[in-house]
Amino acid sequence: MSIETPMRDLGKGKKANAGDRIFNRTITGAAFTSLIILAGITVFLGAKAGPVLQEQGLSFLTETMWDPLGVPPEFGIAGMLYGSLLLAVIALVISVPVSLFLAVFMVFMAPPKVSKILTNLVDLMAAIPSVIIGLWAFYVLVPPAQEWQQLLNQYLGWIPLFQNESGNFTGTPFIGGVVLAIMMVPIVTSITAEVLKRTPPELVNAAESLGCSMFTMLRYVALPFGRGGIVGGVMLGLGRALGETIAVFFVLKLVFDINFYKIIESGGGSIATLIVSKFGETNGEYEVNVLLASGFFLFLMTLVVNAIANLIVARTDRLKS
Amino acid sequence: MTILMSESPPVLEKDLEPLRPWSKRPASFWLAAFLGSVVPLAILGALYLTTDLAVALLLIAFYLPMQLIGAGLAGYFAKGKHGIADSAIIVFAIGATALSAIILGSMLLTIIVRGIAAFRPSFIIQNSTYISPSTPLEYGGIGHAILGTFLIVGIATIISVPFGIATAVYVTEVRGRAVPYVRFFVQAMSGVPSVVAGLFVLTVFILTGVLNTSAMAAAIAYAILMLPTIARTAEEVLRLVPEELRTGALALGSTRARVVLNVVVPAARTGIITAILLGIARVVGETAPLLLTALKNDQTVLNPFTDPISALPTFIFDNVAQPYPDAVTRAWGAALALLIIVGVLFTITRFISARKPRR
Repeated sequence: MSIETPMRDLGKGKKANAGDRIFNRTITGAAFTSLIILAGITVFLGAKAGPVLQEQGLSFLTETMWDPLGVPPEFGIAGMLYGSLLLAVIALVISVPVSLFLAVFMVFMAPPKVSKILTNLVDLMAAIPSVIIGLWAFYVLVPPAQEWQQLLNQYLGWIPLFQNESGNFTGTPFIGGVVLAIMMVPIVTSITAEVLKRTPPELVNAAESLGCSMFTMLRYVALPFGRGGIVGGVMLGLGRALGETIAVFFVLKLVFDINFYKIIESGGGSIATLIVSKFGETNGEYEVNVLLASGFFLFLMTLVVNAIANLIVARTDRLKS
Repeated sequence: MTILMSESPPVLEKDLEPLRPWSKRPASFWLAAFLGSVVPLAILGALYLTTDLAVALLLIAFYLPMQLIGAGLAGYFAKGKHGIADSAIIVFAIGATALSAIILGSMLLTIIVRGIAAFRPSFIIQNSTYISPSTPLEYGGIGHAILGTFLIVGIATIISVPFGIATAVYVTEVRGRAVPYVRFFVQAMSGVPSVVAGLFVLTVFILTGVLNTSAMAAAIAYAILMLPTIARTAEEVLRLVPEELRTGALALGSTRARVVLNVVVPAARTGIITAILLGIARVVGETAPLLLTALKNDQTVLNPFTDPISALPTFIFDNVAQPYPDAVTRAWGAALALLIIVGVLFTITRFISARKPRR
């Protein structure tokens, strides 16, 4: 039983009441705020990024330098762009298995009461501000994390990934990735748990009555059913990880050279962190514009990731209902 | 039929034993479960006491494999071959849960324990005028930062709530043609990094000279971050309002606008409050936009237009890496204050949404 004529059509006939018409228009106008803001961000940051790109050329995206006082000043943020991606990949590798198993535990294993408590704890974890996570990471996580990295280097140092020549284990991409993983886990977990909960109970029961083990049920029923939603959730978490600024600021040593794969070598890049750390010490308007241009590319990156994530989630939602 | 029955089914009977979850478990299962859970722990304890290998190494290189083998054996005794994969899943699931619980517990515990050290009445009330990082804890406080947070978040709420609820009303009540697009843009907006929101306000309002670096500028950046949260939560809440309420009000002769304003929105009142609180909780700890739009100020600022202003996140940010222990303690204290605010918001939303809606 729903109202037959959609409200949007009321403005057309003469029957429509003047109040309704005004109401409709106001609400419709206000509903487009998000579009206006998104367009505004694109236009205004794009307008600042354009001249910078023109002046620096493509080397702005492919070179690694930060020379605001040079004549002419030269900038290249390749290291930062790559660093952001590297951090996000490390965070993904750590957080996705943890989130999946945590969600499986919450949905299929824990008794209902425990599951409810865990849901609340995961939400609480998601609500903790990033600056607090950064503070905690700086003082509590970093000392043991350095130890872990030394162990990694000691026993697995023959793998190029775990090389470290400087002997300095502070401010590595690994620690940054771990902090991002801690921030991603609650996001990915809550979406994954939500998706797994929606597995039709008759499918789960059928699998169990056929004698499927937990592993078989997960592998052939729950995960295939929730795959789209889970991938979407991971992408949303990835978008958050790419844009995270403050928590990474405390634990990562920013260097402009590209740190390609040595994840436990001191120094890495993050474009969001770059903006905050350079903003306080800019030399003149041009460098501010360079930061705005960097922000523009960060915005584009997260926008693409989020759009893909939302499309995946929306498509699987439609298929289900 | 009888002919079919007489042909005994081949192989299956012997190979595939049914699980029979109702059957009593043999003693060997309990023995295996006991050994599988206790022995690895005991070996871990023994290794920890006798060698000086790092705990992390012990856990990952010794305990985890042993636990997997132990649980695998227990699973094999209990359910046969497919018990092994199951037990591995159980070990990893419990491991992941324990890991997350330890991290959350460690966070809350450190913040409470270290933050308490800074807490005293003066710390809550006073501002930080004339306070340097090395000043002892007896002087100065975060009063200005708490006020700053309230001021910025308050203005941001006033700005974002009408737009957020209007967006939700458009999607659920007006049901215009652009609904899929509006929802897409709101979701895209929820992915805007906070630092980009700060940069946007910086370009549009501060670099053009419309606003100073002030609470107002920061509030606009916060409002941009709050809007999607409020819109999405309010949308879900408005969907829950029963259709009968709308049709009933229409039947009584009210106009469509009146139905929304006087019936639907009031019916979803508590849910909308939850949406607003979730929006506030989303932004209250955001630091990056403040660093770009509000900077810092050691004095109490009440005018949202004129001066730079400090808030709790920026106060924490400024004091984290100071070489003076007292400054760091102040940061922990401010973190505790921020955590309390987040915790209160979180508890209220849980409390509201746990209550059964009145009929």
